[in-house]
Amino acid sequence: MSNKKRYRMLASTAAVAFLLAACGNGDTEDTSEGTDNGTDTSEEVDEEASDGETDGPAPIEFDQRVENEGEAIDGGTLSIGFVSDSPFTGIFNWELYSGNPDAMVMAYTMGDLLGYDENYQYDDSGAATFELDQETNTVTMTVKDGVMWHDGTPVTAGDIAFTHEIIGHPDYTGVRYSGDIANIVGMEAYHTGEADSIEGITIVDDKTIEIEYQSVGVQMLQAGGGVWAYAAPRHYLEDIPVAELESAPEIRENPLGFGPFKVENIVPGESVSYTAFEDYYLGAPMIDRIELETVPTSSAVAAMENAQYDLFIDMPTDQYDTYKDLPGYTILGRDENAYTYIGFKLGEWQEAETDEDGNIVEPAQNVYDPNSKMADKDLRQAMAYALDNDAVGARFYQGLRRRANSPIIPNFADYYNEELEGYPYDPERANEILDEAGYEDVDGDGMRETPEGEELVINFASMSGGETAEPIVEYYMQSWAGIGIDVQLLEGRLHEFNSFYDRVGADDPQIDIYQGAWGTGTDPTPEGLYGRDAAFNFTRWTSEENDEFMEQMTSAEGFDTEWRAEVFNEWQEYFMEELPVIPTLFRKEVFPVNNRVGAYDISIGTNPDTPGVGLHTLYLIDEERAGQ
Amino acid sequence: MWKTIIRRVLLMIPQILILSILIFIIADFMPGDPFTGMIDPNLDPAQLDAMREAYGLNDPLPVKYVRWMSNAFQGDFGRSFNYQQPVTSVIAGRIGNTIRLSLLSIIFTYLIGLPLGILAGRYNESVLDKTVLVYNFVSFAVPIFVLALLMVWVFGYNLNWFPARGSISISAETQWEIWTSQLYHLILPSITTAILGTTAIIQYLRSEIIDAKVSDYVKTARSKGVPIQKVYTKHILRNASLPIASGFGFTIVSLFTGSIFIEQIFVYRGMGYLFLQSINTRDYSVIFVLVLFYGFMALVGTLLSDLILMAVDPRIRID
Repeated sequence: MSNKKRYRMLASTAAVAFLLAACGNGDTEDTSEGTDNGTDTSEEVDEEASDGETDGPAPIEFDQRVENEGEAIDGGTLSIGFVSDSPFTGIFNWELYSGNPDAMVMAYTMGDLLGYDENYQYDDSGAATFELDQETNTVTMTVKDGVMWHDGTPVTAGDIAFTHEIIGHPDYTGVRYSGDIANIVGMEAYHTGEADSIEGITIVDDKTIEIEYQSVGVQMLQAGGGVWAYAAPRHYLEDIPVAELESAPEIRENPLGFGPFKVENIVPGESVSYTAFEDYYLGAPMIDRIELETVPTSSAVAAMENAQYDLFIDMPTDQYDTYKDLPGYTILGRDENAYTYIGFKLGEWQEAETDEDGNIVEPAQNVYDPNSKMADKDLRQAMAYALDNDAVGARFYQGLRRRANSPIIPNFADYYNEELEGYPYDPERANEILDEAGYEDVDGDGMRETPEGEELVINFASMSGGETAEPIVEYYMQSWAGIGIDVQLLEGRLHEFNSFYDRVGADDPQIDIYQGAWGTGTDPTPEGLYGRDAAFNFTRWTSEENDEFMEQMTSAEGFDTEWRAEVFNEWQEYFMEELPVIPTLFRKEVFPVNNRVGAYDISIGTNPDTPGVGLHTLYLIDEERAGQ
Repeated sequence: MWKTIIRRVLLMIPQILILSILIFIIADFMPGDPFTGMIDPNLDPAQLDAMREAYGLNDPLPVKYVRWMSNAFQGDFGRSFNYQQPVTSVIAGRIGNTIRLSLLSIIFTYLIGLPLGILAGRYNESVLDKTVLVYNFVSFAVPIFVLALLMVWVFGYNLNWFPARGSISISAETQWEIWTSQLYHLILPSITTAILGTTAIIQYLRSEIIDAKVSDYVKTARSKGVPIQKVYTKHILRNASLPIASGFGFTIVSLFTGSIFIEQIFVYRGMGYLFLQSINTRDYSVIFVLVLFYGFMALVGTLLSDLILMAVDPRIRID
């Protein structure tokens, strides 16, 4: 299954449906919180906060692979429950889809051009090989022999060119045209209609394509890091005008892919059935059929109690306690490509400045304001030490989340600095820092004033949704009150997802700090979130030192992985010292697997021919689902 | 009468216009837009703004309104941001589900409501009547989502009698299988709707029948020697059904609008479900069309009710 593309803004606990530009199946937001009683938990944690203990369940370790003993039955139907409150819209096309649910249902049938290793780096395990030449700024992809569309036509280099032609087309209606695509030589001329073809794309032979970029960076070795690694069936879609493609039955009712399963039937928004594609290039699938159904988060646990599906995808983690011991299932788990954080507003977004001719003089960028309320590093660090995120993970999330020590997630094993201590719970340290920095309670109201003696009230914005959203925010505010920092909930309430990100993104002066979450996608480079010209650097924090790190991370030298890892390590140290955001929680995602599934493996980047990894290797060992 | 109908229809035009202006203004207050959730740092803000510009989201409200209206007059109701399809296709894909669900719900509602109301009225003060009354109070008091969740839990999950969600099984292939599968998926939500939808029918029928029993025309009929059964079917029922007829226009209209709660809880993809999803994703174009459609349907409903009333009761005239 694919796990492509980049960052996602996560609703930390909101039950919302929203459009996404970039996604994979691995990173989802929490949806409606289930049965756990937030208030009780809140009290428990409050007590802890006062005695300074962090008992409760330790972070849970999961297996990433399960093998069930038994003889494989002949064929059979695998049923998948895809837990989601936003139904898939039914666009089976990599160029035009926009939502995560669509990526999910496409993964079984459309096929991935490139495979990747455990670091999400492209390797040769997919349908094509990949080569990046730094000297000539080109990427060469060669489709392997035997890779065929479901109608028996071979996948060719022309099909890879075609996917670029769709996205770059002046009439293109989707959201995938980005800086990465525009980076291809000649793409902009094609996009504006000045050129009829894309200059930088050369079809070398039937199977080989060369794409020349204006510049290449090490991030392009990463899945989702800048190379558009898909193919579109030219022979099938060629005659449809690009503007009409997204309404065409060829992508909504009878999609054509090269994945292991063919689409058999689609009930829009509800379910999809697939049948085995016997000529799949890695071998015919062992099961005959897949039936996938969308299950709302509210009934996911009930569906599991009734053993309605063999696999559950995107199972809600907040209800973990209610299903962890259900008979018939093994629960696999892994780190999610996401983290929760608390951001400090430190500046403003400045729009691009242009001269009279409309030429950009000064590009749009983040401008750090050294006089902002949260500009004092000591204050930020003290606030981080005041939070017991280990307890939050243990109590509110039943051990499925744990304190984060870095803005780089552990899944990027080569780049994650595991030695960083981060900010463990230490209210005494917090008090010390504040005392030293001169934050003292001058007027005797129990709350500290600024070193200048002014009253310090910090406005905290957070998203609504789910039962734990409010208690966690309350807990954070109490913890800060415990060290004498007066933090008030913005307007006394939580804010709905859309209005929250609207205001955070627009640098609403009312907001001093906010709690958000990022889905990181599969590219570790943090430039898009913390760079000077990144619009999604919502804290607006910048520094020259940081710019230098960003430059190094994306520089040509970065092709030396060890050197690059070192840069990442140093950056993480620097970042955690400066602390423009407090990374609060790393998150686990869980996958319940029925015991009749022969083998299932969720580890990242494993050889697809390993049983349980590639979809074509899945098999069943019983006609009846276990626990039914 | 025709004059009245034409006048009423003409009156709808300004009503719809006012409604559409109101929706536009209120929708404009909603925080966020369809692109708020589209986050991709490689898509620079200019790109997002270009999308907003292309969809005309940055234009001032009056401009947006006039553009939308002039397109709508040409039959173009805009595109859904979320489904990336014309709004009309999105709605066309849902309305069938909603009509099926509502139709079966209405049938069940009358199947339960009519006999209970008639019996309770005819034998008032009996044990049966009291039971019906208790049922009526309970069904009036219970919110629909409570019963719906309960029904899903009991019949969908614990007893496994009916599917707990969806509108059709994915493995239905032949036309016959499709029909039976659809019906099978409809039973639970429509019975749930029916159980709670009978209150007004029962209450009106019962009290009207009780009133009619002692009225002069019934006494006259009885003294003429008309058998009691015939008095009920020929005389009382016709009069007692007047209040129900007055609501029948809305009943017909509800065929198309669907129920947000039922569709949400049973994950049944109809109009109500679409409405809620569209609000969550700020799918403006769909919201506009749906609210206008609901408003239009409400107006049609009142007109229909008046017409039906006139047909049932010749004493009532609209002119």
